[in-house]
Amino acid sequence: MTTSAQTTQPAQATAIDQHPLAGHTMSGADVIVQVFADQSVEVMFGYSGGAILPVYDAVFRYNATHLKDNGDEPMPLIVPANEQGAGFMAAGYARASGKVGVAVVTSGPGATNMVTPVRDSMADSIPLVVICGQVSTVAIGSDAFQEAPISNIMGACAKHVFLVTDPAQLEATLRTAFTLARSGRPGPVVVDVPKDVQNTALKFHGNGELALTGYRARLRAVEQSTLSDADCAAFFTALMQARRPLIYAGGGVIAAGAATALRAFVDTFGLPVTTTLMGLGAFDTTDPLALHMLGMHGTAYANYAVEDCDFVLALGARFDDRVAGVPDKFAPRAKFIAHIDIDPAEIGKVKPVHWHHVGPLVRALERLNSYGRAHGLRPSLDAWHAHVAELKRVHALNYDRSSRLIQPYAVLEAINRHTDGRAIISTGVGQHQMWAAQYFDFRAPRHWLTSGSMGTMGFGLPAAVGAQFAHRDKLVIDIDGDASIRMNLGELETVTTYNLPIKVVVLNNVGDGMVRQWQKLYFKGRFASSDKSLHKKDFVLAAQADGFAWAQRLEHAEELEATIAAFLAFDGPAFLEVMIDPDAGVYPMVGPGASYAQMITGEFIASRDAPAAREVQPSHMF
Amino acid sequence: MNHTLSILLQNEAGALVRVAGLFAARGYNIDTLTVCATHDPAVSRLTLSLQCDDAGVAQILQQTRKLVDVLQVAHPATALAA
Repeated sequence: MTTSAQTTQPAQATAIDQHPLAGHTMSGADVIVQVFADQSVEVMFGYSGGAILPVYDAVFRYNATHLKDNGDEPMPLIVPANEQGAGFMAAGYARASGKVGVAVVTSGPGATNMVTPVRDSMADSIPLVVICGQVSTVAIGSDAFQEAPISNIMGACAKHVFLVTDPAQLEATLRTAFTLARSGRPGPVVVDVPKDVQNTALKFHGNGELALTGYRARLRAVEQSTLSDADCAAFFTALMQARRPLIYAGGGVIAAGAATALRAFVDTFGLPVTTTLMGLGAFDTTDPLALHMLGMHGTAYANYAVEDCDFVLALGARFDDRVAGVPDKFAPRAKFIAHIDIDPAEIGKVKPVHWHHVGPLVRALERLNSYGRAHGLRPSLDAWHAHVAELKRVHALNYDRSSRLIQPYAVLEAINRHTDGRAIISTGVGQHQMWAAQYFDFRAPRHWLTSGSMGTMGFGLPAAVGAQFAHRDKLVIDIDGDASIRMNLGELETVTTYNLPIKVVVLNNVGDGMVRQWQKLYFKGRFASSDKSLHKKDFVLAAQADGFAWAQRLEHAEELEATIAAFLAFDGPAFLEVMIDPDAGVYPMVGPGASYAQMITGEFIASRDAPAAREVQPSHMF
Repeated sequence: MNHTLSILLQNEAGALVRVAGLFAARGYNIDTLTVCATHDPAVSRLTLSLQCDDAGVAQILQQTRKLVDVLQVAHPATALAA
């Protein structure tokens, strides 16, 4: 789309809120960089090219003339090996910091390489602003060099996309892009800027956004909606009748900054909490009332608690197919399901609910908390707490502790003993991702960076780079797989180029482990294209070639503790490849199309049912 | 069952593609589609019909309301029945 001619201006711009550069003439590229500065952008990620050169030059000039007191650039532009890396770095930065991640790429292939991170961020509700260079307005539609129809392509993937053909709208469009990215349900916004627009001399205003009357009216309605006394009364009537109420918390709790409000709610009413993959960290997983993750590879005790509960409070969660594979059989004993979300389209999308509220989560939780306190409403849950504690004890995660082969779970447990739930963990996608989700503790939000909905292999390494730029002093660990890390292996060099003290762990099971697991279950063990035993890569040599001074391979279980300690203690980038048991599986597993009652817990986690030979049906879904 | 939706959207290149793309991506087949100007030159009215069940139409209405350049989405049949 082209940008709207309408802009909103503050009614009275006083001398006090006047931008110091208001009225100055500058190029479109300088306008872009100035709006970034005004939006407190502290780092951006991107790869250069013809159609974005004016912006790159403007960034260079801005940084050269605005050096910080310590000599650092105020807005460093971090260069990846591939634009997809830049997108995941921006996403990793956004996930770890809660701020908008910014990526700047060129037209054509630069922009199409950015499609995967944009779609990934849309699916996980991560705020990004992506600037794409575009061929000049006169060349659009002529099959020009490095031309691609980015507004069409990104329109299907992003929260919104702007094609700026009127230079006078550039400034308001950019400011609006940040507002769109972070407001409501967050998401990625793409701004496609033709090269001639970047080179046009423009008068800078210093304020103003596009009107977007429809979006803003809907946003206002959601942000201003409140829970009435009658809403609260209906909620508590159901809660007070419940004997086994459970909170199911999703990524929305983290996006909303509602972890503190959730903690306070649980402190008052005592509901146990299970979180989705995206919700890990929304509630301290070491808490007695924490059930860790639910779902396809959730803990057995969380899934049994979902089976047993009679009341569900879903917070910023969307009953995704990895959680509610069979919606009718999800929480089958729940007499009442309550759902709070910022997105009206998520209410009743998958599963009908009895009570819902569309609005900001913090305010909703605080309102329920104060209403319940004021009316002295506290369910007595001692029996349920005892039941939950017993589920956690009996059905705890476990694995083959006597094996001579290195068990991936043992590697993660050893790292967790050092990090204690306080390191930032990123992952690729597959078995290692699920093991990391299960075996790490997460004490606070924004410590767990994973491609949840899209499931993009190759996410972990660039996301770790972005997170390290968000938190320069924190320990950032990429838990990766041998197949996932190959997808963006070029970013190993980015880690050392910027001397980031990231710790990269490759759990090497010589193939696509999760694919093999499904092939064992559903394809009679025919490992079509998932075996990599003929692959020749020496990961340690590869890391050394990319400048890792500490790069080792761990092959013997007895060296595990000492190696992990040395690896984590190294001051600088470090790379550890661990040759793990290639047959290690991810358990528990709720198969596709199965209910939690049909969960397979494997050999080492206690199941509630006798392990009767259960016929596993291949599913056409997922 | 046949449903007719009336959508007001900002009259901009790409806005129609966004609506049509949303319906396609979510598996809804548009049977008829008309786009016309309104008294406000900045606003177009899009009228479309599709076959789907009531839950499906409720969901696509909500999804359409998430498009940034959509001003208003109405389902006149439900409005009349209500």
